[in-house]
Amino acid sequence: MKVLELKNVHKVYNTTHIEVHAVNGVSIDFEQGEFAAIVGPSGSGKTTLLNMIGGLDVPSQGQILVDGIDLSALKSSRIIDFRMRNIGFVFQSYNLIPVLTAKENVEFIMNLQKWPKIKRDGRTLELLEAVGLADRVKSRPAQLSGGQQQRVAVARALASKPKFILADEPTANLDSKSTSTLLDIMAKLNRDENITFIFSTHDARVMKRARRVITLEDGKVVSDIIH
Amino acid sequence: MITKTAWKNVWRNKVRSLVVIASVTVGIFAGAFSVAMMEGAMYQRLEDALNDEISHIQITARGFRDNNDLSCLMVNTGNIIDQVGRLEEVEAVSDRVIVVGMANTATKSAGVQIVGIDVENEKAVFGIYKKIKEGTGEYLDATASNNVAIIGVDLAKSLNIIRYLISEEIVDSLTLQGVPESVTGKLQPYWGIRFKNEKAFKKELKSVLSQKEEIKYGHIIKELSQTYREGARFTLTFIDNEGYQTGGRFRIAGLYDIPNNMYESSQVFVLQDDLRRLTGLNEGENHMLMIRLKDVDDTSEATRKIATMFPALETMNWKEIQPDLAMLEQMAKMMYGMFMLIILAALAFGIVNTMLMVVLERTKELGMLTAIGMNKKKVFRLIMSESVFLSLIGGVIGMIISKIIISVTATRGINFVTYQEGFEAMGYSAHIYPHIGNDFFIVVTIMIIITGILSAIYPALKALKLDPADALRTE
Repeated sequence: MKVLELKNVHKVYNTTHIEVHAVNGVSIDFEQGEFAAIVGPSGSGKTTLLNMIGGLDVPSQGQILVDGIDLSALKSSRIIDFRMRNIGFVFQSYNLIPVLTAKENVEFIMNLQKWPKIKRDGRTLELLEAVGLADRVKSRPAQLSGGQQQRVAVARALASKPKFILADEPTANLDSKSTSTLLDIMAKLNRDENITFIFSTHDARVMKRARRVITLEDGKVVSDIIH
Repeated sequence: MITKTAWKNVWRNKVRSLVVIASVTVGIFAGAFSVAMMEGAMYQRLEDALNDEISHIQITARGFRDNNDLSCLMVNTGNIIDQVGRLEEVEAVSDRVIVVGMANTATKSAGVQIVGIDVENEKAVFGIYKKIKEGTGEYLDATASNNVAIIGVDLAKSLNIIRYLISEEIVDSLTLQGVPESVTGKLQPYWGIRFKNEKAFKKELKSVLSQKEEIKYGHIIKELSQTYREGARFTLTFIDNEGYQTGGRFRIAGLYDIPNNMYESSQVFVLQDDLRRLTGLNEGENHMLMIRLKDVDDTSEATRKIATMFPALETMNWKEIQPDLAMLEQMAKMMYGMFMLIILAALAFGIVNTMLMVVLERTKELGMLTAIGMNKKKVFRLIMSESVFLSLIGGVIGMIISKIIISVTATRGINFVTYQEGFEAMGYSAHIYPHIGNDFFIVVTIMIIITGILSAIYPALKALKLDPADALRTE
């Protein structure tokens, strides 16, 4: 089942003198349960593509369909709500709210969606257990290692049961042990719960674990290999 | 969750938040305390005016207020007093005979209003009998021999009845009051010299004391150096009911001291019988009836009733007699509101600045929050709540400190003795008892919340304009 379709997506930035084609005619489909890596050198358009998939940026041309809904057709107020309910984000620098505990960070989106407390507590503990941090519910980000923070970020991204998770270089700031743990957790969630993961990376360790590797160069897909 | 996050965000940069909170605390305290001082002074002025000077309602013959004519009389006032006294709002009525005349001593004279009173009625309406300056005698006694008077301290000074003398005992008293030897030493050349008036004494003090010493100790030196011979006499002259000049020599029973120099220097109180005898007025003929009410809030209602009962007479209440006092009361709340508004507006700039820094520092975090699904309304609420918390914490602490300090100072008062002359020239007591109502704190709390909300608008709009993709790229 197609969860995401990109149809001839372009992104052009107009600078003072020249037009920069950050993404140039990308067309890809993602099925439910994929574990896909978008790779490529710096400036190849990975982050721009991920931003457009996540509805944070708008394509200059083309369509991005999530479960058949065209993101560019949604009003800006609707798109925020759409993101909250359908897309999970994991960022390179974790981006947890520093004043909240691990539990509060994970349940933040559920709070925004006004989930009842019992349901919220159950889901939060379930997710923190899934990422191996059930014993750190009351820890604040500053009391956690980088790897642990990123695991909390993964739990947060999963909180509202999104259609897919977008992870922008999730292992870039992690040591090899933390990277390995994180990838194990993401792979397990993908395998056991059929959650779709799409991440951009330069990290060879991540590429090795991905079941599909899409390579971008100069904003174009130059290879799309399924292992 | 947004409120909880905003609360926790307040303590994210403790030093910065505490600086803002401290500035709000100081601002609110300064505002509340100043308002309490102003309200205390205003409240005392009103109380003093009603209790010592004008009462709540006055009845006169029509035209008396315009010309103070002796013949502009009310007759059969006993009947009026009975009827007015039966009104449920009325506590007491005092009848007065009033003539305009001159007060004279051997060296000075002054224009005065001579008020003939019935001692017991007057005591029921006014509190001047409690304000006789210590050591100057007593209030009028209805059984006293003919021609006794009480006059104000200020009139006594003008008539050179109060004189100034520095003696060894006075220097000892000054030392006990904390005046240093360096100052009392400078007064030694004047020991034993009697100054006939305040002006001459002040001139000499100025010549020996530095400006700082004069400001700090001048008042207490003048106060303690005053000499007054009990039973001093002066002459009152005026026109009788047939148009002939008349008068009498009066013994001063005592000097009254109230915080209104103008009143003190113009009102002389004598026994009504003495004044009737000298002017030729009969029993039951009076110029003014002064009415004290049980509750000042009944003023308008009681005025209306009395005016209806005696349409031929002129009935005026304190708000009409002294519109400045009525205006003071009405304007006070508006003035306090304006005063607090100015303080809060100044504080708002500090809060805006802090919240702008917050938005700038948390650009990436705000981008993340928008990315994961926090809509504009909630982002606005987050920033606004933080701003309201900052202002409210400072405001509440400021109000608690104000309440404590006002309560402490309200019992003992604050004495601006150095500025006493200035205060009393305007009719205000220099000993101010700060006073503030609880409704003030409710209004200020609302104003603080509004300030917090308004201060958040510009920073929040900045936050709302952030593009999440750009914000997430920020380092």
